[in-house]
Amino acid sequence: MSDIIMSVENLTKKFPVDGGKFLTACDNITFNVRKGETVGIVGESGCGKTTLLKAIMNMQSPTSGKIMFRGKDITKLTGEEKRQNYRHIQMVFQDPTAAFNPKMKIRDIICEPLINFDLIDRSDIDSKARELLTQVDLPPDFVDRYPHNMSGGQRQRVAIARAIALEPEVIACDEATSALDVSVQDTIIKLLVKLQREKGITYIFICHDLALVSMFSHRIAVMYLGNMMEKIDGDKLKSARHPYTRALLKAVFSTEQAKNQYIEILPGEIPSPLDMPSGCPFRNRCLNCQELCAKEKPPFREIEANHFVACHYPIDIA
Amino acid sequence: MLLDVKNLAVSYGKNQSPTIQGVNFKLDEGKILAIVGESGSGKTTVIRAILNVLPGGGHVSEGEIIFEGKNLCTLDEKSWRSIRGKDMSMIFQDSGAMMNPIHTIGKQFIEYIQTHSDLNKQAAYEKAIEKLTLMNLPNPENILKSYTFELSGGMRQRVGIAMAITFQPKLLLADEPTSALDVTTQAQIVGELMFITRGTGAAMIIVTHNLGVASYLSDDLIVMSQGKVVESGATVDVIKNPQHEYTKSLLSSVPEMDRCRYV
Repeated sequence: MSDIIMSVENLTKKFPVDGGKFLTACDNITFNVRKGETVGIVGESGCGKTTLLKAIMNMQSPTSGKIMFRGKDITKLTGEEKRQNYRHIQMVFQDPTAAFNPKMKIRDIICEPLINFDLIDRSDIDSKARELLTQVDLPPDFVDRYPHNMSGGQRQRVAIARAIALEPEVIACDEATSALDVSVQDTIIKLLVKLQREKGITYIFICHDLALVSMFSHRIAVMYLGNMMEKIDGDKLKSARHPYTRALLKAVFSTEQAKNQYIEILPGEIPSPLDMPSGCPFRNRCLNCQELCAKEKPPFREIEANHFVACHYPIDIA
Repeated sequence: MLLDVKNLAVSYGKNQSPTIQGVNFKLDEGKILAIVGESGSGKTTVIRAILNVLPGGGHVSEGEIIFEGKNLCTLDEKSWRSIRGKDMSMIFQDSGAMMNPIHTIGKQFIEYIQTHSDLNKQAAYEKAIEKLTLMNLPNPENILKSYTFELSGGMRQRVGIAMAITFQPKLLLADEPTSALDVTTQAQIVGELMFITRGTGAAMIIVTHNLGVASYLSDDLIVMSQGKVVESGATVDVIKNPQHEYTKSLLSSVPEMDRCRYV
């Protein structure tokens, strides 16, 4: 069991909206991230996963709650201390085309973080850029290219090279492979896993594809309407017990399933986060909703070792 | 046979080398064909060529498309108007984007129905309501009064499908109909596509990059890469027993729940 590198405690983020109301994007989120592990955060659009990531990246301060990292609550950092903190957490974005300055060459793009933190001499930039490109399995002579001269997969590799330039402890990936084709996606995931083995990097990986996340995450957290519904070890995903996780598992179309097999479809739509149902947020789509679900919000409790569920009546799968 | 595509090649602009070439397939009434491939493989170009809506100076440079015995490549614009939207219609990736954001959905839906039929406004309105109800949309009256941005992605897609099936087309062309949707909504829409094609007896060509969806829905499958068909056949055969190296690598890179884990 490795050490806890980051712990998110009771994180809540509310955005004010018209009429004095608040939109709760993240509601009382608590979880730990262990060193050298991948935490996959899964959920549909509007479930608050990007808001959570922005809080972890210290790009947005939460309404309440703490994020402990390197012995400090990073949400309270200011000024130079806050800037220095960015050295240890880096990010890979969804759209690698939008993440680069189109007028900069790859060499300068990759080494910009090092220059910002004054960790490199001007004369070393070229060799460092070549070294980083080799680490992400790209030819070193790409240093003279511009972002538009590359394919989407190659650009995403450059984004990863830039993220590892500072040798960060944590890399946050926001849908880093969603814009890519399946075969490219596969190679990027293999690259991320390889870098993790070599450098012991911790990933927080946001994704909407449960099947993809299950392939390389040590822990998987499922979010719905700003709440964490279930947290489970990656290899135990099949034994998930929250009705929402079960529904997500069933919604994955597999090439291995029999054709025209009956698919169980979750009824209804995600309610507006401004108009949350009372009690359990998932109750109006849940197939085994009962009286208690409307009255009380289920607590996020541990039902087995390392397996947390926020549900009054978790599904028995045995 | 409903549709017969023979040796189709499409070029864009003055470009001499064709973007897609040598595409052959046949489609029977009521069958579902899926075209899969990665971005830039030419899968959308194929169905756009069938509907004769190729963008940017694209044109069929070789081959022919036979739909119900007529060669579509030689039709004039006037005959196209009686086919497009009536015998053949298209479902887009984002049905919200195909509509005008400053008019209500009802206005555009009724205009569409009246363009293709002699119905008066009241009858067209009732037909629109009927089709929306068929797509399991609650409160169809309200939806006709709304603008596209007031609906969620899944609802917009349902409206798009309702419009596409209004005249009981013989052929539906679906261009990545579920790619912009969340997984649970995708499951709903896929279920409804299955339901309407089985219910109306329409044939469908679905273009998708999601092999799971393709194998669930389709009877036949075409795998495209770089403008060429690399493999085609009955879906079960292609998925279970792929022959071409490209199909094999494509199938092995699809994330699956039971696949080996990297960590």
